[in-house]
Amino acid sequence: MLRRILVANRGEIALRIIRACRELNIETIAVYSEADRNSLHTRWADKAVCIGPAASRNSYLNAQNILAAAVAHGADAVHPGYGYLSESAIFAEICEAHNLVFVGPTAEQIELLGDKSRAKATMRAAGVPVVPGSEGAIHDESELIAVAEEVGYPVMIKASAGGGGKGMRLARDRGELIKAYHTARSEAAAAFSNDEVYLERFIEAPRHIEVQLFGDNYGNIVHFGERECSLQRRHQKLIEECPSAAVDESMRAAMGRAAVLGATAVNYRNAGTMEFLLDASGEFYFMEMNTRIQVEHPVTEMVYGIDLIKEQIRIASDEALGYDQGDISPMGHAIECRINAEAVRMNSRPSPGLIETLLVPGGYGVRWDSHVYQGYTVPPYYDSMFGKLIAWGTDRDEAIHRMKRALAELTVEGIETSIPFHRAMMDDPAFRGARFSTDFLEEWLAETELSPKE
Amino acid sequence: MELKQIKELISLVNSTDLTEVEIENGDFRLRIRREQKEAVPTPIRVMETVMPEVVGTPEPVVESREGLVEITAPMVGTFYRAPAPDADPFIQVGETITQGQVLFIIEAMKMMNEIESEVKGVVKQILVDNGEPVEYGQPILLIDPRA
Repeated sequence: MLRRILVANRGEIALRIIRACRELNIETIAVYSEADRNSLHTRWADKAVCIGPAASRNSYLNAQNILAAAVAHGADAVHPGYGYLSESAIFAEICEAHNLVFVGPTAEQIELLGDKSRAKATMRAAGVPVVPGSEGAIHDESELIAVAEEVGYPVMIKASAGGGGKGMRLARDRGELIKAYHTARSEAAAAFSNDEVYLERFIEAPRHIEVQLFGDNYGNIVHFGERECSLQRRHQKLIEECPSAAVDESMRAAMGRAAVLGATAVNYRNAGTMEFLLDASGEFYFMEMNTRIQVEHPVTEMVYGIDLIKEQIRIASDEALGYDQGDISPMGHAIECRINAEAVRMNSRPSPGLIETLLVPGGYGVRWDSHVYQGYTVPPYYDSMFGKLIAWGTDRDEAIHRMKRALAELTVEGIETSIPFHRAMMDDPAFRGARFSTDFLEEWLAETELSPKE
Repeated sequence: MELKQIKELISLVNSTDLTEVEIENGDFRLRIRREQKEAVPTPIRVMETVMPEVVGTPEPVVESREGLVEITAPMVGTFYRAPAPDADPFIQVGETITQGQVLFIIEAMKMMNEIESEVKGVVKQILVDNGEPVEYGQPILLIDPRA
């Protein structure tokens, strides 16, 4: 087993990892920026090392200072958490070069799966369903028409160099196709100095469903079911669930099989998440693979009764999984609400500052993962999430009622938070009925958005 | 009492926790007293020994870093006072330093990073032991720029 782990992260996930290490009798080294001196993760670690000023690029992204701290304090492993350096192939490689175990997949796996087009090609070759579309760029109108007919309408034309919705055009039929093609190309040329575009079938009102994967260093790979992550604003998840109300047992088995198939193709090790788009007809398509632990991992832990961070550390210590798919089964339902320092219904206006009052809910089936306390100041430099409230129930209905009760107890004064949004959502008929897709939240917020005056 | 006996007595006292021993034998009286190092923090000792010499004032600024410049670690790593294990340290307490002069080394990522001074003055105190890990922003030296 590993002896001393440097936790290369901040906030709740740093604390989450430190807690797992303490239970495993593994020493921990916390790192912190000058703005995080008073964060709880610096207190519960065995040692805390300041690695730079407030700006992330000079502290939590400062690979040199983080590795120097690991070496100088005798760590034998680095846990990157999520975000920051967790999906940096170079960082993983430098860790290994300094004889530090990187708690995660190999640098090669991070690199391959981090490249969207290579990842997609790999998964397609492995037999994982991907969104039907052109193989690479579209070169002229005749190719465009041929591919669109083959793929089936509606189709989306996307810039190869794209991002942020630029150079993206929807075509519902052949009539719209040619115009969409040329508009997308000129937009792409203007935005990215590259007019190359490709074509994909447009998946209408999909759900975002992701499968939790785990592999050891000996080629054993299993999955821990799916998570429902459709409730997002600007690709930021706000509420996650395990399992998804849209996934039944046979779909779960099919998705899990596909995910394990894809992970096996790259001989994946440690924790990973395969993201799928699920359409209304029940077809699912590979989107991407995240090569790290996810923010929303606790909902899986509550339903599958497993500590995923400990599993990560165990596997990084070169232990074998020790169980197979047949040993894994879900029980009940869990919901996670991300508690952010922002007014969600005021266009997610950030609200850092002093937490004057904090009352944390408890009781059966309630979990609070957070690095804050009463008197803590949420710094303005980082992500606005300062806590995760998780509720478990024997079924979705009980989980919702328990979350409602916990949200009623959770009291944060001094800053604005996402708590009012979550309370409203627990009473929303569409949410209660699990009738939503990735479009739902933006539309819901547009309808119920409060003006800053209110 | 012979010198040899006195020496033996001193080493005996040194090997115990005793701080004071008094021996009386007729008209001969000997008192051995040991300074309690713990009671005198290193910073003050350094200030006392150096300040009068440099500033020439009878009331040295003890226990205060007022007016002194802190040199902090610009990166995380291991602190070294000398360029090699058997080499002389770059600087000593009491030494006058100039801008651009190498003060110490921080080893990070197997690289020896020479840290140069941005100020001139006299080294008042070295706050970190050789070979110790240092964090970002940790005070390493106290420099008196007035000297």
